[in-house]
Amino acid sequence: MPDLSIEVRDAGTVAVVLPAGFINAHTVRDFEGALEKLVAERRFLILLNCERLSYISSAGLGAIMGLIETVRENGGDILLSDLSENVFAIFDTLGFTQLYRVYKREDEALAAATAPGQGA
Amino acid sequence: MAVPMPSADPAEFQLVIPSETKYLNLVTGLAKRAALVAGLDDAAAAKVSIAVDEAVTNVILHAYNGEPAHQVELELRFTDQALEVHIFHMGQGLREDQVVLPDPKEYVMHPRKGGLGLLLMTRFMDEVRFGETSGRNECCLIKKIS
Repeated sequence: MPDLSIEVRDAGTVAVVLPAGFINAHTVRDFEGALEKLVAERRFLILLNCERLSYISSAGLGAIMGLIETVRENGGDILLSDLSENVFAIFDTLGFTQLYRVYKREDEALAAATAPGQGA
Repeated sequence: MAVPMPSADPAEFQLVIPSETKYLNLVTGLAKRAALVAGLDDAAAAKVSIAVDEAVTNVILHAYNGEPAHQVELELRFTDQALEVHIFHMGQGLREDQVVLPDPKEYVMHPRKGGLGLLLMTRFMDEVRFGETSGRNECCLIKKIS
């Protein structure tokens, strides 16, 4: 089993990214590459569904941070859903829960992302 | 007759890995298991695991500049009071007076890439120390068992 696999699927205008496994300094290039590919395709509304994510280190958080400005400048956003208690603790400890919209479930995040006046 | 070991004496063992990020998962898995063995709960063990990931990543990427032909030694010490993870290396050492932690509030106002690993380490562990021991650079992470 690889340390990280990444599934990307479309949910209307939202690109749903499902990382499975570990995002650390070894795997972050794959994660970053998946996000950069979406931005290159001008997919600026991105939902990170973290239900299969075991943990994310600061390398992974940096990858998200590195793209958020571009995404928001283009009218989009990066949303988070389905965080385990442990993954939530990482985001929350660093203040990311104030920087990003976090939802318990994917359907809630999708509804928020596509609500009138929200996102791309 | 065997002399009973004082309860405060640590049990300890070592693991030496090459300075390559592909071994991070192995190390963090070990750290999490060690934390559970030490008596920490799952949430605390996950925090130890992340802190060790950050510390070892710092050694590989910064102390050794990403060069793979070096060694990183981890020493786990179990006491009645705490789990200690000592990380030794021969790369560029970090000292206490060089540690600058980003202010989370400032970070939220002005987000930027990088600088988060040390913050996670200090938030998730009870003590984080940097120094030199027997000619080797050391990062010491301590998680108390409550």
